[in-house]
Amino acid sequence: MFYWKGCQIGTINDNFEVALGMSRKWDAREAGREVARDVIQKLKRPPSFFLLFSTIHYEKHGGFEEFLAGVWDVLPKGTPLIGGTVAGFQNNYGCYCHGATALAVYNPHIDVAVGVGYNTKRSPKKAAFSCLKQIKDGLDHSSYSQKCIIDIISGGLVPQMLGIGRKKVLRGMTSVLALYLSSLSLYLLQKGIGREEDVLQVISDKMNDFYILHGSSMDDGKAFSNFQFCNYEVGSNMAVALGFACDAHISLFSTHNLKESVSLPRVKIIRNGVGIRKINNKPALKEFLRILNWPEEYFDEQLFKRTYFYPIGFKKNNQWISRVIAIICGNVMITTNKLEGDEFAVLSFNGKDVLQGVTDTISKHGIERPAFGLISSCAARLQALGIQSFQVHHELYSYFQDHPFILFYSGGEGSKKPHEELYYGNESFHSLVVS
Amino acid sequence: MRDDPIANVLDDLLKLDDILACMVARCNMISVMPNNDSFDPSVNQVWDIIKRAMDDVFGVIREYSQAGLGEMEFRLQDFETLFYIFPDTENALVAIVPALANKGLIEVEMENARREILSIMEESEKQEAITA
Repeated sequence: MFYWKGCQIGTINDNFEVALGMSRKWDAREAGREVARDVIQKLKRPPSFFLLFSTIHYEKHGGFEEFLAGVWDVLPKGTPLIGGTVAGFQNNYGCYCHGATALAVYNPHIDVAVGVGYNTKRSPKKAAFSCLKQIKDGLDHSSYSQKCIIDIISGGLVPQMLGIGRKKVLRGMTSVLALYLSSLSLYLLQKGIGREEDVLQVISDKMNDFYILHGSSMDDGKAFSNFQFCNYEVGSNMAVALGFACDAHISLFSTHNLKESVSLPRVKIIRNGVGIRKINNKPALKEFLRILNWPEEYFDEQLFKRTYFYPIGFKKNNQWISRVIAIICGNVMITTNKLEGDEFAVLSFNGKDVLQGVTDTISKHGIERPAFGLISSCAARLQALGIQSFQVHHELYSYFQDHPFILFYSGGEGSKKPHEELYYGNESFHSLVVS
Repeated sequence: MRDDPIANVLDDLLKLDDILACMVARCNMISVMPNNDSFDPSVNQVWDIIKRAMDDVFGVIREYSQAGLGEMEFRLQDFETLFYIFPDTENALVAIVPALANKGLIEVEMENARREILSIMEESEKQEAITA
């Protein structure tokens, strides 16, 4: 049992003062105040930056403007702040799918900059450049050697189409109509695929000497709405990023631990890259069901209950990158993000392998006294593991103990080490430890 | 809000969109209901049959709780009923959710509610032991 009220979770060492806060209140303003107060009262000095994660529930219990206003009722004015909505989170106190959590960091030898870009679904590259400019302006003259960006980008939203509603499985003429309308929906209404990887690729290319940790903002899995926070601003379809430079040690390790299950031959991707229209020169869905020996009834509105465990993988740089099948449009399988390359397979998700992956990845850090940890993990892992997510918490707490950490469950995750390629995927786990 | 802390935990659980009904129960008895006593209207139509099925499930819980039975669930029509058993007892935290619900997230909050209720029960027993 991990007690929260009355338990101080914070790190003070020569370089860092770090504090963790949480609120489980329902009222948005009260929750904002509580999560900020829980952090501030543990710090001796004003934070250098503040990271804020919340579940979607405050949308209907006061709204996120009220939530953020509550945070600023307590947080010192001018504190660099970013964050967003997530499906759930873990921290030193436990595993939660309702509430808010925050991490505040103070370091006397740190440079911090915050950036925001807008309209990520309509113009992802423009959003990336706008966000980056603010980070670069703030950090270009920094003399510190270790640089890191933590970013939250608005994730995909299921479009609501006239006469069709919000459905994951579309058949017949509605599927043809939906495919046609989806492009319009993306550009006009900014509802559809997230295009986070388009934003991230720009950030990765331009900030090659940075560590990057990414999470796609989401709700509770319905993909109806998501929100991002940047300083005093709340919005959607935003890319928000916090960059910092210091002389601390930073380590970053990732995994998904998915295994190749069955090969998918001769895959033809749809024009925008976010789905499969043919496998083996046959209609994709029919052939996919035949290969896996599944009945057609398996693909109903409970789609995610199946597809989380059998994501689509493609090979890139000799490793499997996974994508979850999110929508069925006739015989076309729409995935959460873009597919690439020539080699495809169905990957399998096994709870035991996933838990082992967490243990192996965390142990690679090998740091005895971390200042803090941040982990971006796919919400599909939370959905699939359910109550077994507490075993993930057990592993993380065994490593971090009373050193603050937050694992946030996102709708797409990514990471990059300096001078290495960006990894963006689904069903993955990316851990950043600073000491 | 009444002073029953367990009812307050159930109230919080009921605020989640996909929790249509929740209670602490045992065979043939509902021990604690949420404060406002109001479940989602969609449950009312199937409540009688779900209640009968619940009582049958509690028979299994009674047999195997001491052997470490942790959770049970069943699906009936468009609903799933989840049982989070209090260890070594015949009582469980019970919730009714739509069959299409994102159960992974619900499971996490059910577990948090179970832990919180257990800690309230343990605290109550300690107080009783002190005053006795």
